[in-house]
Amino acid sequence: MFGYLRPFKDEMKIREYDLYKSVYCGLCRSMKKDYGLRSSLTLNYDCTVLAMLYMSLNNDSYCKEKGRCTVNPLKKCSICRSDSEAFAFAGAVSIIMTYYKLLDTIRDSGILKKAGAFFLRLFFRRSYKRARKSYPLIDQYTSEMMASQSEAEEGNAGIDKAADPTAGLISRICRMICPAGAFSAPAESFGYYVGRWIYLMDACDDLEKDIKKNSFNPFSSVYEGDIVKTMAYCNEVLNMTAAQIVMSYELFPVGQFREILDNIVYYGLSFQQKKYTEDRYADREAVK
Amino acid sequence: MNDPYRVLNISRNATDDEIKKAYREQAKKYHPDRYQNSPLADAASEKMKEINQAYDQIMSERKSGGGASDAYNTDYYTSDTYEGYNEFYSAIRRLINSNQYEEAEQRLNTVLPNERNAEWYYLKAVLFYRRGWLEDAYNYSGTACKLDPRNVEYKSFHERVTTQRSGAAGGYQPSSSSGCCDSFCDSLACLLCCDCLGDLICNQ
Repeated sequence: MFGYLRPFKDEMKIREYDLYKSVYCGLCRSMKKDYGLRSSLTLNYDCTVLAMLYMSLNNDSYCKEKGRCTVNPLKKCSICRSDSEAFAFAGAVSIIMTYYKLLDTIRDSGILKKAGAFFLRLFFRRSYKRARKSYPLIDQYTSEMMASQSEAEEGNAGIDKAADPTAGLISRICRMICPAGAFSAPAESFGYYVGRWIYLMDACDDLEKDIKKNSFNPFSSVYEGDIVKTMAYCNEVLNMTAAQIVMSYELFPVGQFREILDNIVYYGLSFQQKKYTEDRYADREAVK
Repeated sequence: MNDPYRVLNISRNATDDEIKKAYREQAKKYHPDRYQNSPLADAASEKMKEINQAYDQIMSERKSGGGASDAYNTDYYTSDTYEGYNEFYSAIRRLINSNQYEEAEQRLNTVLPNERNAEWYYLKAVLFYRRGWLEDAYNYSGTACKLDPRNVEYKSFHERVTTQRSGAAGGYQPSSSSGCCDSFCDSLACLLCCDCLGDLICNQ
């Protein structure tokens, strides 16, 4: 999870934005409590969405209170509090995925990055162990996902196959947050396509870098020297995935956080796609 | 049963027209066509039933006389309507409809490459679509359409996924550069940076 899943701020009401931020702060605080202060460094926007979805699907009550930022005590902020398991769960997902991502970096990267990732791994090791102990299933799913991911990359997989491991992982995580098997079909499908979308966004983001370094990227076979055209194609692939996200989302009984989640699905996906596939290359001419 | 007004997401004071509008919006959202070949088709049709019932209930309460409903009739859509010409492919369709994807896939793969026809590519596309392998679904349904351009079933499915790619159903739809004097307005904006004047001239 890399933080691509975000609301589009321009279309939010101020109270919605405040609530969104308070969930972010609430997650940060809960991670500090459960897994130690350093674990808060792994916090990202995707896990904030996961926490909201968790509370929404389970109808868990929450409240907003004033407090101080965990990382910077000089800053005041409002913090979302809840008895829900949502924060502990989303926090564990964040830590476990970051940890595995570091393992992956150690395996794939050059010596300097390798060393950095190695120390970070040691740094997060304790938090990771605690998270793994509370949520062994998340750990198991993630390690399975990493295995099939490297298998797919070694086999130079196409777009669908390359995206499948991440998609499958998020799908399983979304199944875990459903109350006792209820609406698990739309949740699994929603998770699958969100995972796919995140993976493909990341692939778009890294495309130029990967081509330069000759590393695996599912879009590199499409690329024929023209980044603008390739990005238009990537956007089509993302659009088809986003359409499936919308279709699954609309079958959820989303209650709380509805406005924020609606914003993410109807505006956020679109805005992020535009940012990564179009705006970034706005100054480049299409090769004719 | 759920409160019908909540199902349609409207207030109790809504006028008949507002109800009709809300109903049409919801019905469009959960229409079976939209979920064609999707594993979520069942969940969507449940939702559609709920909406139809809610609409009928509100309308009959209001008219007190009952009266016929204007609700969309979705009965025409059943997954068994395929009249397969070929028993081999009909059997595979039945497998897909009962979610036995692996078995269906295995049987499809027994067809030799030179015997693969439009229906083979279409069913392959459906299988990919259900698994969430959207690119393969798009490519295979495209091939099915090329091999048999007059088949309505293949065409409607391929059009649906093509629409999804455009961003009309979610995601980002790049603005098409149309309009009478786009480039003129742009150059004008560079010079004057004034929307009102630009509009004034362009709308003449």
